[in-house]
Amino acid sequence: MDIHLRNITMKFQDVYAVQNINTTIKSGQLVSLLGPSGCGKSTTLMLLSGLYKPTSGDIYFGDKNVTNMEAEDRKIGMVFQSYALYPHLSVLKNIMFPLRMEKVPKKEAKERAQAMTKLMHIEHLQDRKPGQLSGGQQQRVAIARALVKEPKLLLLDEPLSNLDARLRLEMREEIRRIQQEIGITAVFVTHDQEEALSISDHVLLMKDGVIQQHSKPQSMYRYPCNRFAAKFLGNPPINLIETKHGQTQEKLHLHTYNQTKQILAAEQRDVTIGLRPEDLYVSSKENHLISGQVIHMETIGRDTMIRVQLQEETVRALIHPDATIQVGQTCYLGIKEENIHYFNTETGIRLTSHEGGSGNGS
Amino acid sequence: MRKEALSKSTIYILLSFGAILMLLPFIWMISTSLKAPNEVMALPPVWIPSELHWENYTEATEIAPFGRYFVNSVIITILSTLGELITTILAAYAFSRINFYGRDVVFAILLGTMMVPSEVLMIPNFVTLSDLGWIDTYKALIIPWTASIFAIFLLRQFFLGIPKELSYAAKVDGCSEFKFLWYVMVPLAKPALITIALLKIIGSWNSFLWPLIMTNSTEMRTLPVGLTAFTTEAGIQYGLLMAASAMVILPMVIIFFLMQKYIVAGVTRAGLKG
Amino acid sequence: MDLNPTKKSTLKGYLYLLPALLILITFNIYPIIKSFVMSLYTDFDFFTGEVFAYGFGNFVEIFQDPNFRIAIVNTVIFVIGVVPLSIVLSLIISLFLNSKIKFRGAFRTIYFLPYVTSVVAISIVWSWIFHYDYGLLNYFLSWFGIDPIAWLRDPQYAMPALIIVSVWKGLGFNIMIMLAGLQTIDEQYYLAAKVDGASAWHRFKSVTLPLLSPTLFFVSIISIINGFKVFDEIFALFDGRPGPGNSALTVVYYIYQKFYEEWQFGLASAAAFVLFIIIFLFTIIQLVLGKKFVHYN
Repeated sequence: MDIHLRNITMKFQDVYAVQNINTTIKSGQLVSLLGPSGCGKSTTLMLLSGLYKPTSGDIYFGDKNVTNMEAEDRKIGMVFQSYALYPHLSVLKNIMFPLRMEKVPKKEAKERAQAMTKLMHIEHLQDRKPGQLSGGQQQRVAIARALVKEPKLLLLDEPLSNLDARLRLEMREEIRRIQQEIGITAVFVTHDQEEALSISDHVLLMKDGVIQQHSKPQSMYRYPCNRFAAKFLGNPPINLIETKHGQTQEKLHLHTYNQTKQILAAEQRDVTIGLRPEDLYVSSKENHLISGQVIHMETIGRDTMIRVQLQEETVRALIHPDATIQVGQTCYLGIKEENIHYFNTETGIRLTSHEGGSGNGS
Repeated sequence: MRKEALSKSTIYILLSFGAILMLLPFIWMISTSLKAPNEVMALPPVWIPSELHWENYTEATEIAPFGRYFVNSVIITILSTLGELITTILAAYAFSRINFYGRDVVFAILLGTMMVPSEVLMIPNFVTLSDLGWIDTYKALIIPWTASIFAIFLLRQFFLGIPKELSYAAKVDGCSEFKFLWYVMVPLAKPALITIALLKIIGSWNSFLWPLIMTNSTEMRTLPVGLTAFTTEAGIQYGLLMAASAMVILPMVIIFFLMQKYIVAGVTRAGLKG
Repeated sequence: MDLNPTKKSTLKGYLYLLPALLILITFNIYPIIKSFVMSLYTDFDFFTGEVFAYGFGNFVEIFQDPNFRIAIVNTVIFVIGVVPLSIVLSLIISLFLNSKIKFRGAFRTIYFLPYVTSVVAISIVWSWIFHYDYGLLNYFLSWFGIDPIAWLRDPQYAMPALIIVSVWKGLGFNIMIMLAGLQTIDEQYYLAAKVDGASAWHRFKSVTLPLLSPTLFFVSIISIINGFKVFDEIFALFDGRPGPGNSALTVVYYIYQKFYEEWQFGLASAAAFVLFIIIFLFTIIQLVLGKKFVHYN
């Protein structure tokens, strides 16, 4: 069942939480709604669930217009950040609850709930109350409860953000495993780019209630369609270097960078250049793009991160740990030309179009 | 605090003395209620009856229909408590979970009317109830007391503390709003509901002026009203009078001992909120 | 984020409110207006519901009625007699109960017990204690060589008797509220004061009292309001009469007499309205001053 959002707008009092969203979520995929807090990703999820009704626009589940259908009739499963388990009911009763609401006979409901606990590896917790469970266990119960009625759509609202780092990784893989095992369409809200990139088939990046980019994780990372997308994805964040149109590029050494030279010459406006730290490498003096004094150096796991002073700004680069570089030295950094991103400084929009990425829609 | 100023033993002595003063009327009531008439009027007073005259209790119920009064009080207390719980649950849900036009205004007006004492409302209510023909019926003693602004306020505060996501989860689970209220909110609000019910039971059982005015016939009297009528009938038979008083007092004392935690919580909440 | 109200949610909201509103409007809100209107009935036939004349005559009449003046004076005396005594006693007891002593729960239960008992029933018990010949109180007084007092028949002693019962009955509630108030005071204040070398009395004066003042204030106002509404105790103590020689005639008792014994609905409503104004004033004082007190916390 594909899900279509058509011209969806949601207004709270006088504030637009979501503005004119058009997109399609393909059947069986796991799609992440990614963005900073207040970008409208949670509102979009609430609209999909039917807990919120859009101010205007239509939502289709397959061919069916469900815009005015109540949440309880949409046959969806939902997992919340705070888990939202019923504190007065045991784990098994929590999982049975949706089935009991559908008037499934008690015996069958119990069997199906028990099957669900098996899938989620929580059989041994059946009789406990939510208050006696750890965060990770509660989340498993919440997922089991969401899936027990075999919904067509699973919605997850920041399901991992209340868990500690290790558990988060584990649950992330667990969610992916289950989603693929039962082949359900899932929408996953998160503000964590790493989470979104690692778990999903598609990522829908939002800002200020507007979709910025909807694409596969890899192409969103490699071909961010605007400066915001480039900045939001990647850690450490992308280096953005502004160039002034028509002036000599003092910060850049374009000697061997013909494509960049051409683009800067062809564009009749200011251009911002984006260089991901992990794409930069230590190069020779002849082939470098940027150079400067190393002002800071630290080892992050297997990589070494350096900060290089480039006139009034600093540039971060992740370099091979074997490179013999010391703080205070001048360092020459190069990059493969296809890894350079170009943005219109004024609008922030990407200049060169590449396959795989797109703006609104997909 | 002042514990060095006053030694601990002084505190114990003073508190115990106060406690005796608090308990004395109860003790004296029970003691008198079990005495033979000659012991009742003995000087110096006899504390422990030489013989336990339980028949004072049966005799009191023979002189005045205390059984009937008791049944009336039980019926009125139970029904007005049930009624109040229902109206309170529904109203508190509306005020805490539904956003509707005029909600804050209606709530403010209700809170405002809380300061009007029921003694002031008694006269127009008497007129209303006589127009309805409800005087001297259960209806007059029950229906006007099936809603309480204070209870709505208390439960609303409790409901507001229940996370919103729970209602979202329930809706997604296919639960209609009404079912959510019944299967999730109400079980979760049990402590608050027990408190509300207990305060209501105590208030309803002990209420006096209202049933005094709204009833005429002996059959419709509640225990407190029947008891004041009995003072004239019993005259100076203090043994019987104390037995009758004990019948009014003891049920609430028992409830209090069983449910003290909830009653104290309710009274304290009422106090701190204003 | 709260969803905006819609027509649908409004309909639903009022549907849920309907049972409560039906009762509250009929028996709480409508009577407020009706009560004021009725106080203006100067000529009225209860049985037909016909009103022949309106005016402020009822107010003029009750203020000229010596009994109403007695009722006001008695009520004020009652309030002055009960409130300070009850506050001081309950403050002392709650301070004791808040210190680290054994049997705290048991003491609390005992002091709170009168709160749940029927005023009428326990007043009848008290009337037996006040008995001239065989009452416990006169018996105890005889230990100190005091002659028997006609508590309930001597106009001079009727009010003290009423005050004793009311203080005894109301102590539990006040203690409960004050204990809750004391529990909100952070232990750190006491530690700080102790480090500063403050004596126990000083700590009470400069820490406990100011921090407890909102609670004390609240309890005082509630006690005053309840004091103005006193009725059940009187009816039961004095066997359906307002004390010997109207010595325990209070405002509510006056309303009761005019209304239920004399069927003077207009006069009763006017008196009820005066009662409402008095209580209203104290409520306003509480709201206005109460807000100020909150800043201390």
